[in-house]
Amino acid sequence: MTSTFHGLEVAKRGMMAQQTALYTTSQNIANANTSGYSRQRVNFVQTEPYPAASMNRPQIPGQMGTGVEAGSIERVREQFLDVQYRNENNKLGYWDSRSTALSRLEDVFAEPSDTDGLSAVMNEFWQSLQDLSVNPENEGARSVVLQRAQGVVDTFHYLSNSISDIQGDLGNQISVGIKDVNSILKQIAELNQQIGEVEPSGYLPNDLYDERDRLVDQLSSYLNVKVEKMPSGGNALDIAEGQYKITLLDANGNPSATLVNGNQFNQLGFSTEDGKYTNVVSGPIKNIEVYTPNDLSQTESDPVAGIEVASIDFYTSGNVNFSQGKLRGLIESYGYQVGETTDLSGNVVPVVAGIYPEMQDKLDQLAYTFGTLFNTVQKLGFDLEGNQASKDFFTNLSTIENAASNIQLNSDLQTKDIAASSNGLPGDGKNAINLGNIFSMDLSKDITLEGVKNSDGTPVVLSVGKNPGDIDVPITTSTINSFYEGIIGGLGVASQQAQRLSNNSSSLVQSADERRQSVSSVSLDEEMTNLIKFQHAYNAAARNITVMDEMLDKVINGMGVVGR
Amino acid sequence: MRVTQSMLSNNMLRNLSSSYERLSKYQDQISTGKKVNRPSDDPVVVMKGISYRTDLSEVQQYKRNFSEAYDWIENSDAALDNAGQALQRIRELVVEASNDTYDASQRQAISAEIKQLRDHLADVANTKFGDKYLFNGADTTTQPVDLQANSGDGSFPEATQPVEIELSKGIYLPVNVPGEKVFGEQLFSDLKALTDDLDQGKNPASYLDQIDKHIDDINNARADLGARQNRLEMMESRVDNQEVIVTKVLSDNEDVDYEKAITDLTTQESVHRAALAVGARVLQPTLMDFLK
Repeated sequence: MTSTFHGLEVAKRGMMAQQTALYTTSQNIANANTSGYSRQRVNFVQTEPYPAASMNRPQIPGQMGTGVEAGSIERVREQFLDVQYRNENNKLGYWDSRSTALSRLEDVFAEPSDTDGLSAVMNEFWQSLQDLSVNPENEGARSVVLQRAQGVVDTFHYLSNSISDIQGDLGNQISVGIKDVNSILKQIAELNQQIGEVEPSGYLPNDLYDERDRLVDQLSSYLNVKVEKMPSGGNALDIAEGQYKITLLDANGNPSATLVNGNQFNQLGFSTEDGKYTNVVSGPIKNIEVYTPNDLSQTESDPVAGIEVASIDFYTSGNVNFSQGKLRGLIESYGYQVGETTDLSGNVVPVVAGIYPEMQDKLDQLAYTFGTLFNTVQKLGFDLEGNQASKDFFTNLSTIENAASNIQLNSDLQTKDIAASSNGLPGDGKNAINLGNIFSMDLSKDITLEGVKNSDGTPVVLSVGKNPGDIDVPITTSTINSFYEGIIGGLGVASQQAQRLSNNSSSLVQSADERRQSVSSVSLDEEMTNLIKFQHAYNAAARNITVMDEMLDKVINGMGVVGR
Repeated sequence: MRVTQSMLSNNMLRNLSSSYERLSKYQDQISTGKKVNRPSDDPVVVMKGISYRTDLSEVQQYKRNFSEAYDWIENSDAALDNAGQALQRIRELVVEASNDTYDASQRQAISAEIKQLRDHLADVANTKFGDKYLFNGADTTTQPVDLQANSGDGSFPEATQPVEIELSKGIYLPVNVPGEKVFGEQLFSDLKALTDDLDQGKNPASYLDQIDKHIDDINNARADLGARQNRLEMMESRVDNQEVIVTKVLSDNEDVDYEKAITDLTTQESVHRAALAVGARVLQPTLMDFLK
């Protein structure tokens, strides 16, 4: 026989289970707008029926249900969608940082424009030289040339400095990014620790799971990582998710270092000279170190001591080797070492690649070629007094490196020193035309100058290249104008591609997120429906207790009083 | 697929933001009048734009050079006209003095006038335009004729270098009249000999041929100037055409097609309104509105 109070117990269990469900619904509604929150549901389980199979079981017609219990509270989430989301988010991180870096470069160059930009300034300079060629004896025309030349120099300085500034900014972004990554890794390890403590007791730490997944989502935008689950052991439920092991993948998707393993975590950084690790970027990046910090209490701004886990080459055997993601995008913009070379004085210097260093290099080549050719042509001509010009037009052009930031208008140069004349006569302006033509000289061919003659009366021919007697400048295949157009065109194409891929990955991230939201996000209508459903069940269970009460009242107070 | 309120509101925000992005693109296009505002909008258009701008600034500069060339030619022509009249007057005086009825004193009076005219010719030869001498070739800062130099023998232009102005890429036009052709030593020495003879009361008839030759020199130089002016005008009209063409090419390359841009803007505006309206309708109702 079952107990007299069996019905009361079943109804009580029903009330308690429905109440748990109501509380969970309430939690869902409360968190409807919490980012990273996955809706939760109560897994109702029937309790053990009575009687269980045993030797001295009561002889009743069948097993009697004993009610319900809230077996577990589980979050509704699809792990595969997380993987999809993180893959796309990783690509988005990369292309987004790249397209931002390129678009800032576009802002710096300010092309196309009628008034700003290097091409407009060069055109103005050319016009001033043409004005000089028709009025070579005119003081005004001469000083306009000097002003315009100063304008070209200023523009080179502005471009070069802006590129350096933004590059420095990118370096800071890398430092901050690494700091962020390190903090995320530490937090994930801490969450792993807590999860490892909760799970063996048979609970599901849903909120810790949500928080951990949110952190892994963030991490995925910086780095391409693989997430594996390791069971916590103990009395953990089958549906418990366990602790995360996070592995950093390289450019080809092969594992390159473990970042988090249970409550152990490593950090990213750059090695310093005294064998410590820092997140501060100093110069083009060669290696990224993964290390286990020795002392967790140290502040992050100072270099920290640690044990090296892996030293990852950013670039190896002709390819960027580092993990896809925002960090890689930033480093590719900022600059990285692709090898080493020996310079003229025998020092080993790094060969640097990257969007900003390469742009700086092209600008240097442009400034150096322009300044050097201008000086050469200037010295072939004659000044206003009919003397062969001896003063350089532009100075500080000893190396190609940093030419754009170093180039200066010769401060000794006076208006009369401009070599406008090709034959020493003050009214001849042919050499001013030669100076202006420097922008449009095809440097792949020999260049015949207007008016300027050798001692034997043949026209002076310049050639650019490495042979003896040639002018040694870096641009040898095109005109200065078309070299500059090439810079802008190349920048435009790279930026356009980065924007396109960034948009593509952004919409892929959105659709992955949408699929994920479709599974995990809270629907208020659904919760309202559930609320009513659980409330009705709760009410019915309460009513059940009333029924039991009336029944028991009959048994206790109404039985054995026949005829009274 | 299960769709929740938060998905709806996220989607709506995203769609509105991309709609704003397109609106802002059309706004940029219409307010700047350019299809492209940065290299990544269309790298090829921007590259071509830079090169067309260079072409345009060249053409505009050549047009400026033309006005300088006209100045040279017109000033030279006016000076030569002046010199021609002076020589014509000298010729008349010589014809007059060749008359055998003229006595020595009358011839000396004529000589005085011719001396003045000779000085006048020297002044004309030294005509300045701005800060440059017109008749000393490229040596524009040196006075071409100086009658007092070399202890009275004078200095005169010889073998002057042409002044050439670039009027199109690589095309140069000489704009000056070589001083030695019109104001050479011969002219002034002939006039000197003429006045010397007149001072002595001699008949100057033999000088008529020489004076005619000098008048011819000046007329030839003016004819040459006229021919060059014609050429200049032809070249200028070509450069004018070129400016129109380059401007048009530049505009075709990167200027916005207003009809298209405004149509696009209007279409996008309707889409935007629809997006806002549908958002307002979709976001409002919830089950709560219908539960009692």
